[in-house]
Amino acid sequence: MAEEVKEIPKSEWALQRYLYTRDISSAPVINLLLKQVDVIYQPRDEKEVIEVLRIAEKEGATVVPRGAGTSGYGGVLPPKDIALFRLSKRKTIMIDFTRMDNFEIDEEKQIVACSPGAVWWDIEKELNKKDLTLRVYPTSAPSSTVAGWIAQNGYGVGSLKYGGIADNVEKIRVVDFNGVREIEGKDLKYYVGMEGITGLITKAWVKVKEMEDMKYYGFHVSAKEANKIVFAGEHYAGLFLDAGYVKLKNEAFGTEMPEKDVLMIATTEKLDGDESLGEEIWEKRFYPMRVRRLGPGLVAAENVLPAESIPAYLNRLNKMIKKPHGSEIWYSKGKKGAVLTFIPSDERKFIGYTMTWLNSIRALKTAKRMRGVPYSTGFYLSSEAKLLLGSDYAELREFKRQVDPKNQLNPGKVFPTGALPLAMRIAQKVIP
Amino acid sequence: MKLEKELNDMVTACAQCFYCRVCPAFQTLKWESVSPRGRVYMLKGLLKKKIKLEPQLVEDFYKCTTCGACEEQCQTALKLVELWEAARHEFVKEGLAPLAVHKKLRELAQKTDNPYGEPKEKREEWIKGYKYEDKAEIMYFAGCTGSFRAVELAKNTVDLFNKAGLKFAYAGKDEYCCGSPFLRTGQRDLAYELFKKNYNEWKKRGVKTIVSSCAGCYRTILIDYPKIAKELGLEWNFEVMHTSQLVNKLIKEGKITPQKLTAKVTYHDPCHLGRHTKVYEEPREVIKAIGAELVEMERNRGESFCCGSGGGVKSQFKDLAGAIGKNRIEEAKETGAEYLISCCPFCKYHLKQMAEEQGIPIKVVDLVEVVNNLAVKGEYKGNDIRCA
Ligand SMILES: Cc1cc2nc3c(=O)[nH]c(=O)nc-3n(C[C@H](O)[C@H](O)[C@H](O)COP(=O)(O)OP(=O)(O)OC[C@H]3O[C@@H](n4cnc5c(N)ncnc54)[C@H](O)[C@@H]3O)c2cc1C
Ligand code: SF4
Ligand code: SF4
Repeated sequence: MAEEVKEIPKSEWALQRYLYTRDISSAPVINLLLKQVDVIYQPRDEKEVIEVLRIAEKEGATVVPRGAGTSGYGGVLPPKDIALFRLSKRKTIMIDFTRMDNFEIDEEKQIVACSPGAVWWDIEKELNKKDLTLRVYPTSAPSSTVAGWIAQNGYGVGSLKYGGIADNVEKIRVVDFNGVREIEGKDLKYYVGMEGITGLITKAWVKVKEMEDMKYYGFHVSAKEANKIVFAGEHYAGLFLDAGYVKLKNEAFGTEMPEKDVLMIATTEKLDGDESLGEEIWEKRFYPMRVRRLGPGLVAAENVLPAESIPAYLNRLNKMIKKPHGSEIWYSKGKKGAVLTFIPSDERKFIGYTMTWLNSIRALKTAKRMRGVPYSTGFYLSSEAKLLLGSDYAELREFKRQVDPKNQLNPGKVFPTGALPLAMRIAQKVIP
Repeated sequence: MKLEKELNDMVTACAQCFYCRVCPAFQTLKWESVSPRGRVYMLKGLLKKKIKLEPQLVEDFYKCTTCGACEEQCQTALKLVELWEAARHEFVKEGLAPLAVHKKLRELAQKTDNPYGEPKEKREEWIKGYKYEDKAEIMYFAGCTGSFRAVELAKNTVDLFNKAGLKFAYAGKDEYCCGSPFLRTGQRDLAYELFKKNYNEWKKRGVKTIVSSCAGCYRTILIDYPKIAKELGLEWNFEVMHTSQLVNKLIKEGKITPQKLTAKVTYHDPCHLGRHTKVYEEPREVIKAIGAELVEMERNRGESFCCGSGGGVKSQFKDLAGAIGKNRIEEAKETGAEYLISCCPFCKYHLKQMAEEQGIPIKVVDLVEVVNNLAVKGEYKGNDIRCA
């Protein structure tokens, strides 16, 4: 299955390449623009990462970094060269960071020094033994990796108090074709959220905190009322589930939560909410996709909006989407919320699924009209890079040109190249 | 390849989230092709005809102990073990399985009714000297491993039953392999044959309750047999117990009063007893009843880490089984316990071997052996378990 070349575990087996050319998305049609990786390397340390880059340089190959492959915007998928308007076909090397998963806790400084493939919940378990805990983590924490989340610039649990992962990384180490760099402060922006296109993260120093006595409260309130509770006080986390999503969840989990809008607040403050309801929602926070059972299959849309726009956005979605659907919102610092909308749909029925999938483009259009942005660019939404990167766009693009002049590091991601961004822009214009 | 609708739905429902990364095979080998997520994606690819069934795929598919750890964490609550077994059955139908060793076990069992290929007459040798009935409401099912390999387990079990004054039957030569090795490896037809033989024997002897001291047999008789009976249109009204449950009951009823074990012990949940059938507390209650200090391993109950020997892995992939077992024995060592207690002859044998190979001085024993020894010798001090 896997043969050892120069001691670095690797596999060129066709089946393995098939298995590694995927993420959690199932985008219809767009799949035609993707190719398979040619080889997967699993380096065990930074030296081996550098060695793989050396091989890539020699072979003129492109490099796709991969954590746990739990992202859903195509960041770990290799686009066909044709989509990049290249005539010569370049080989694609995937670097899977699975084997680089160790981490070290500095109790005094409250910092964890993590290898890129370290998994959030493995870290949390060890932190808890020392009365420490993560400040922020994604709800995919049982499997997703430190570097994967940094490269996505994600928001998640704890972001209400502590912001996104960008606000909680002290320093990172990256390698590119020129060697190793340690990055901190303002320069982090060249890497955080850049999906590996400017360098591969080989180490990250993540801020953690002391454990606190956290309480979880549930409130049956509308999205508008929720805003008032969420942003009054110094709460740790806030999650809103609209009635549609509660209904889907009940069906998928076999539970009987009242099918009304509901807000969960995790906080150290004493609030006048329903604790058992709050705990029930908290306990299931890692299972947002159980509703996939109902399709089977799921169309999802995720957009980040100013909190004040969220009630109107949800109203609009409810009018627009005809199939059973629902949304959950994780709030974050700066009065924002990441709205994740789920529409169960049978993935095996091509036409029905594709038609349902168009709703994610509709949701994006609607969000943008309300000062929202997509959650990520990845491959699918590189058309939105300007919107997402804002005033840093030109500078970041120039930086990418400098560090990776031959565009070998995760090409086709973040910045628009090839046919897809154009197609996405047209789609947004023509889809009503 | 085809899968029935419910399984096809499962394959489609997988979120590819990778919470199933806890898989002992993936934790050891680190490749998607041996991970639960990878397996589901393979099946999806096969169903959609995007990939072809090939020997190497099938081989990696069998690098799974059917431990159920993946199922416990699954984002979409998929019945993954059922899916793995159904897929293996399909591979057998397509002629790409069973794998060599599993095929050999089948040939032996077809001749001798046990996968060890031992002569049928030898099956009941171990019970000489113990009291048992031909017919009774309770039937002790020693299983092939208890009868031919881990005879100390079978002996300790019936010895303890004798001391408790429990009236039980034993089928002797007329006990047959439960079929577990064949169900787990996709060779369902043979398991059905073995089911019929055992079923008829139990009916003939007026059995109401079947007691097994093997976690694998227990899982098979409790979960698989009723399904097979239904498929074959047979009534199923047997109660099925694992010895740990019966022993717990006997202690509670005051029929056994074991002496105290003054030692620190840790408990390994066998996958087939724990995750598969949710028997987590009874063995622990017994351990507490004998006064031992129970220190849990970090991964316990639903999160317990497999010993590495199930699902046909030890017979076919020794290195993989060894690496998984070493991981578990290290975890047991971390607890500082003097004894590692389990409730399954496979777990015990494998973990004992791993402890020896690693030079870890922990004593690996079965719960029944411990209790029986404590019930024999009043002066037991925790350093002389007779059959360990
Ligand atoms: C159930 C579920 C819940 C989720 N909840 C959240 C959530 O709360 N918040 C959130 O933000 N996301 C969430 N996600 C999406 C996803 O899990 C996160 O974005 C996660 O951080 C991705 O991590 P990963 O290890 O899977 O990275 P991957 O998907 O493997 O990679 C993500 C990106 O990072 C790049 N990359 C990976 N490793 C490196 C490296 N070493 N150096 C440079 N670039 C690298 C990849 O090329 C890719 O572009 C969720 C997903 C699921 C399935
Ligand atoms: S049953 Fe166990 S060994 Fe098999 S895939 Fe699931 S976790 Fe892995
Ligand atoms: S945990 Fe379940 S849903 Fe997630 S990848 Fe594994 S099998 Fe699929």
